[in-house]
Amino acid sequence: MKFEGTERYYLSPELGEIVNISISMEKPLLLMGEAGTGKTRLAFEIARAFGIDMEEARCKSTFKGEELCYVYDTVLRLNDSRFGSGESGRNVNDIWDYLRFGPIGRAFLAEDRRVLLLDEIDKTDSDTQDNLLDVLEDGSFTIREINHKVTARHMPIIIITSNAKRELSDPFLRRCFCHYIPFPGPEEISIIVRLHFHGIPEQLLEACLTEFYRLREQGFEKPPATAELLDWIGAVRSTGASGPGAGKAIRHIGTLLKRSQDLLKYKGVNQKSQFR
Amino acid sequence: MISFIQQLREAEIPVSVRYILEFYRGLQKGLAPDLDRLFLLARLVFIKNVEHYDAFERVFAHFFLGKGSWKMPDWEEVFAGKPFQEWLREQLENGAISAAELRTYGMEELLRRFWETLLEQRGQHDGGHTWIGTGGRSPFGHSGRAGGGMRVYGRGLHGTAQKVIDKRSYVNYSGKSPLARENVSQILASLKNLKRAGPETELDIDQTIARTAKNGGEIELVFAREFRDRLKLAVLLDNGGYSMIPYLDLVKSVFGKIRDHFKDLEYYYFHNCLYGAVYQDLPRTRAIPWEAFVGRGSDTHLIIIGDANMAPFELMASNGSLYIQGSDRRPGQEWLKELRAAFPASVWLNPIPKGRWPTESVTINQIARIFPMEDLTLAGIRNAVQILGRRR
Repeated sequence: MKFEGTERYYLSPELGEIVNISISMEKPLLLMGEAGTGKTRLAFEIARAFGIDMEEARCKSTFKGEELCYVYDTVLRLNDSRFGSGESGRNVNDIWDYLRFGPIGRAFLAEDRRVLLLDEIDKTDSDTQDNLLDVLEDGSFTIREINHKVTARHMPIIIITSNAKRELSDPFLRRCFCHYIPFPGPEEISIIVRLHFHGIPEQLLEACLTEFYRLREQGFEKPPATAELLDWIGAVRSTGASGPGAGKAIRHIGTLLKRSQDLLKYKGVNQKSQFR
Repeated sequence: MISFIQQLREAEIPVSVRYILEFYRGLQKGLAPDLDRLFLLARLVFIKNVEHYDAFERVFAHFFLGKGSWKMPDWEEVFAGKPFQEWLREQLENGAISAAELRTYGMEELLRRFWETLLEQRGQHDGGHTWIGTGGRSPFGHSGRAGGGMRVYGRGLHGTAQKVIDKRSYVNYSGKSPLARENVSQILASLKNLKRAGPETELDIDQTIARTAKNGGEIELVFAREFRDRLKLAVLLDNGGYSMIPYLDLVKSVFGKIRDHFKDLEYYYFHNCLYGAVYQDLPRTRAIPWEAFVGRGSDTHLIIIGDANMAPFELMASNGSLYIQGSDRRPGQEWLKELRAAFPASVWLNPIPKGRWPTESVTINQIARIFPMEDLTLAGIRNAVQILGRRR
């Protein structure tokens, strides 16, 4: 198995190699870096490139880890025991009819190898991370209610992403391969834009990128990233405008800056410059 | 190979036997057929924190690029080499490994034992004291040292820094040196504060069954709130200035321990005294407005770590800020009082031992009148935890 990007996704050679090393070493790959560097996309592209299914877990701060493996639906079972399971075919005496597997459970039980994405792991608290760690390393978890051990048939390809909102615990980091994705430079980003907009005029691309990097440097709360850039260029192109507009009057600024504070700041900065 | 790993350790990169074995396995699998891939493999295996990228790159360059041509690292060399042979002979002689056992060990097992011994020894020799001066390392060239100006070096009388144009060099606290005081963690853990909080989402099965039984079999669901640790802790660190440097080792060990223990833990930085802002990052470039910081006082515990040792005018005079560009017109003391009022649960930890406070600097006692102050000893930390707990 060797991973080499796909037609809609630019893969830097370095990152490709890193993915391949992680797969051969069977280690979870933890991707860090700011939003918009393609961390999450990478998992989708790996699944696509290998033609295998993906299980995706978008982490929330309320997660305790176990629900990613399985959920035991007590309420449903109580309900069935009182009112009968009707035509659903569930058997109240059989706990298996009331167990639902989460993404990790499904990835472990699948007949084929899967990609398992744990998105934004930093949203969970450190206890959850520790729980997940054991599960992922052993490739098994236990269903507490019936003391049944579920073991992975095929160890999934595990991709974990983090926006570094909170520091991950050291033991967690120790068990992963970690890679920090820097924000792409102008050259890489031109390749990415061209992948999405075939035949974009060179001049337009250059003008857009100049404005884009200038905006990024202004220290907005949420600096525009790749996704915003693509939306913006799409907007500029679809209206048939000749250029992106510069400095004070960037067209479709709403596609680049999402936070109202940032928009105010952008407008404020430019109003001042008009008075000068 | 041995010296490569030792150099990583000397560059303050934490290395464990686990990593070494992983690296070994990676090489055995042929994952590093060329220099580029060797670099990536080694970085994936050894580096877990972006802070270490730069240091790693330098060690790697020094080790594999410095000699003109490079050779594939060869593990056989490790086995044939003197350190390994000597270690093995020693183990056999003092009976740690018997000849019979030796035959049953695979290469990996032998390597593991060898490195365990080696890393332990190194750990004793240099307990991470080479870190001073590595502070300016920063990933990807976002230099924290930019900006001109001059710094007047050397310690003044009793470590008091006179008004200088500060170069804003910073000493990176976040490195992890091996910890000497394991019990600090337990003391800090006593600060944990579990409360039922959040929405009532957890089904209370016992209660549900009891109520349902009472209801004559008519189901009644009972939900409870989940247990969650709601304790928020903010740590304010004095991270610049020469007066703190002799105490950094101490602060660092506590720092490393605190990190794992709280749900919501944030670090902020200041320099010497507080004037209207605290900073989110080590080089103190991202400021947080005072109002925003003070506003969290009601539900956050605050620990300030600093030597409280400053020139008296910094504390008392209205233009005492060390930074010339600062335009703060209130004396440091006023800011500190305001901070104290905003954080009912706050404590100042001073790395200078209690006994030396009166002689070290007059400002220590002045600040101790504003904040409850303890020193950075086990006893001091225990007291501090109690002080914080009382104000819960």
